[in-house]
Amino acid sequence: MDTTLDSASARRTGPGLALAEDAGAVTRAARDMAGRFHRGGRLLTFGNGGAAADAGHLAVEFAHPVVVGKRALPAISLANDASALSGVAREHGYEAAFAAQVRLLGRPEDIAVGIRTDGRCGNVADALAAARELGMLTIALTAADGLPAVDHLLAARSDDPRIAREIHITIYHLLWELVHVFCEHPALLGTEARP
Amino acid sequence: MTGARILYPFQHGGDAESVVDAVIRSTVAKAEEIVALRGDVLDRLGPALAGCACAVAAAFRGGGRLFAFGNGGSSTDAQALAQLFLAPGEGGRGLPAISLTGDAALLTALSNDIGFDVVFARQLAAQGTRGDVAVGLSTSGGSVNVLRGLEAARRRGMVTVGFAGSGGGGMAEPGLVDHLFVVPSSSVHRIQEAQTTLCHVLWELVQQAETS
Repeated sequence: MDTTLDSASARRTGPGLALAEDAGAVTRAARDMAGRFHRGGRLLTFGNGGAAADAGHLAVEFAHPVVVGKRALPAISLANDASALSGVAREHGYEAAFAAQVRLLGRPEDIAVGIRTDGRCGNVADALAAARELGMLTIALTAADGLPAVDHLLAARSDDPRIAREIHITIYHLLWELVHVFCEHPALLGTEARP
Repeated sequence: MTGARILYPFQHGGDAESVVDAVIRSTVAKAEEIVALRGDVLDRLGPALAGCACAVAAAFRGGGRLFAFGNGGSSTDAQALAQLFLAPGEGGRGLPAISLTGDAALLTALSNDIGFDVVFARQLAAQGTRGDVAVGLSTSGGSVNVLRGLEAARRRGMVTVGFAGSGGGGMAEPGLVDHLFVVPSSSVHRIQEAQTTLCHVLWELVQQAETS
């Protein structure tokens, strides 16, 4: 038990400091998100397991800001509603559960954020591909390779899915905060550069 | 001053690129802040976390279940915690855990008919039994429904675990929870991030106790 505790902090330092190195990438993603909100876009989030909870957490950050006076921005998690998710999965298969929802609910001006901490979540990759086809801004919070081309790939540098999840939570908290900085200064909103 | 001005005083004046550079610097500082906060809470709360893990593992061994609850972002953090125990993935052992924030019918019925303060307490009064575990999450430590949930759990003889921030709020009142973890930060976001780390390490320690 002591070894687990002793190493708990050390195992997190490297991935945590790596996020500091990615500050530029996080800032560029937030700037593009703010541009989409400015044009009337909405945020759609999705993920499986713990990432489904994070999809809900990310959506509520935007829809009901914790800082008093911040504007509520339109955000929906596609992983929250058991009836919707299981119904769509029954119709299209679990692999298409998020992609099918993106095709039905998404609009070209919207933003898709897919979250996954390992490579097992094909439905997240498929939904990001579907969002990109629609012209949505696509952002992946990931820790594994093998994702489709997205506009902003924000990767946690850890093989441990739990540590990766902790990094993701910091990333989406930062995204929320920075989106509001850019939204309050529309002159800073640039043109999206598609990779 | 608005919140953004306090957080980003550099926004007054300067060209767009220098503002973006300042935003990036501020982002780097926040990433470094959470690394330091995580290290600090693990150092200080580690031994208490190990004690809590022993109690939780003993509860599971005795046939107990874990119930997790919170509001807003803490509600999804409670769901993630329950999901981690239930379906931990490769190398982990699934354990009985339920989030009290996932059932919209129940939450809306209790809120509509009685009041939001009882949404967790009523569920625990109905479902909880001696030997179960209640985990309440609140960044302020003052969410009334979370505190009432923990009180109900205590009355049922459950093991009570509380995650709070700032000074601990009402959750730090003596006798409310058996195992209290307070993250010393004034930022709701940093508190949630450090609480997630504490939850993950608690899970690791429980898994280790289960298999040893």
